[in-house]
Amino acid sequence: MSRLMLVTLALAMSAAVSAQWLNYPTAGIPRTADGKPNLNAPVPRTPDGKPQLAGLWRPNPGLVGDVTRSFKNGEVVPFQPWADTLYKQRRATNSKDDPTANCIVGGTPRSDFVGYPFKILQVPGMVVILYEAVHAYRQVFTDGRPFPTDPQPTWFGYSVGRWDGDVFVVETTGLNDKGWIDNAGKPSTDKARITERFVRKDFGNMDIQVTIDDPKAYTKPWSVTQPLAYQPDTELLEYICNENNKYFDLVHDFGK
Amino acid sequence: MTRTKPHAAIGLAVMLAATIASASLSAQWIKYPTPGIPRTADGKPNLNAPAPRQPDGKPDLSGIWITQSLYIGNLAKDLKDGPPMTPWGAELYKQRRDTLSKEDPTGWCVVGGVPRSTAVPYPFKILHTNGMVVILYEAVHSYRQIFTDGRPLPTDPNPQWFGYSIGRWEGDTFVVSSAGFNDNAWLDNNGHPGTESLKVTERFRRKDFGHMDVQVTIDDPKAYTKPWDVTMPLVLQADTEMIEYMCTENERDLKHLVGK
Repeated sequence: MSRLMLVTLALAMSAAVSAQWLNYPTAGIPRTADGKPNLNAPVPRTPDGKPQLAGLWRPNPGLVGDVTRSFKNGEVVPFQPWADTLYKQRRATNSKDDPTANCIVGGTPRSDFVGYPFKILQVPGMVVILYEAVHAYRQVFTDGRPFPTDPQPTWFGYSVGRWDGDVFVVETTGLNDKGWIDNAGKPSTDKARITERFVRKDFGNMDIQVTIDDPKAYTKPWSVTQPLAYQPDTELLEYICNENNKYFDLVHDFGK
Repeated sequence: MTRTKPHAAIGLAVMLAATIASASLSAQWIKYPTPGIPRTADGKPNLNAPAPRQPDGKPDLSGIWITQSLYIGNLAKDLKDGPPMTPWGAELYKQRRDTLSKEDPTGWCVVGGVPRSTAVPYPFKILHTNGMVVILYEAVHSYRQIFTDGRPLPTDPNPQWFGYSIGRWEGDTFVVSSAGFNDNAWLDNNGHPGTESLKVTERFRRKDFGHMDVQVTIDDPKAYTKPWDVTMPLVLQADTEMIEYMCTENERDLKHLVGK
């Protein structure tokens, strides 16, 4: 290829890059000799020596359809009887009462499992997660504050985070009684305590080990691990669920 | 109980009061003391302290803020004759007023966008991070990314409710340029229009610890014959936290909207 063609091609590509932030190169990430992101590079660290969690991540593959997809032989969800009945009803009606179909956020831990990217930011006193799914955000406080003792129940709950060696451990309480753990409809109640252990394995890969401890819905705690893949050179899309939302018209036609 | 000296009794009372106060403080994060902020001798946040700075010397805009003064009904309320509208814009605005804002997207739980999300009487949190300023809004549970890494605005944007924002410093003023909006932006509850031609400039200037002005310039040649601006005063909200706002939860108003 002639030099002129190479230069023309480079200019054309940079124009395309600036046209959309979906193709904008991420600054300051490790790259191989040909300019591609090096997803196998070592875990980057922040000035205090801890693994860096910040960046755009995507569950790979997402477990949001049914978190038991990751279960090994013989594992079952330890439902309380009422929770098992409710779950079966939700399956039988094809999840027609799913709050996210009504444009309510997935909350904690459901937002970990969706196949949409989310951006983790680390700032003093807090880790913030910006979710593409249903345009949501979550604050994980790292300033040492205790859980509120009489919380107003919410969809995301109240999250505090701390480091346990190289693992970032997030604990969440104060959830409401209405959240779903996945699309299949496993219940979550206001007695839930969710633990998420973020383990960054290398530049391109992180796991979230999620433990659901909800004695009202389950007879014992149970866990799933959600692998995340770093998403370089791209950006979150704006997802405004209520734009052109036809759910209210259609809901009576879904399920049985 | 043995008799105690007066100052010891007062000491005990103070300790008891402090214990009760801290218990109720930890009960809800909406009453949680913000760490590391300037306070007066009686422990209250000192909103008149100097504006803080980031390590690089630039003003630190971070904190929870809320607008004082109600621009959300009418963003142009300070303009004596209203904003300078094109015939198209004036006709659309009149239709929205006549139908009592029945088509307002935020009535359908769509986000307010820019600058409406700043004008609402709900708090929002500004954070500085690498390459970006992030704003978390309590209103309609939304967020906005303002990129400070030098990238240009996209040349062929997919229109968004929040548009696309880039920010830079001009001295001590943080200047945010936004474009790439969709054709159905409402700048306020009354329905001042915003279109795909809209460009918004916001100039954030933190005056002291507790007060910040944001001067907003609306430049949309399809709806307005020339740019117009409004300055909204913001006040810092210390010792509190945002509340989760889920617009579609138990939504019962849509079917009651009046208006022709």
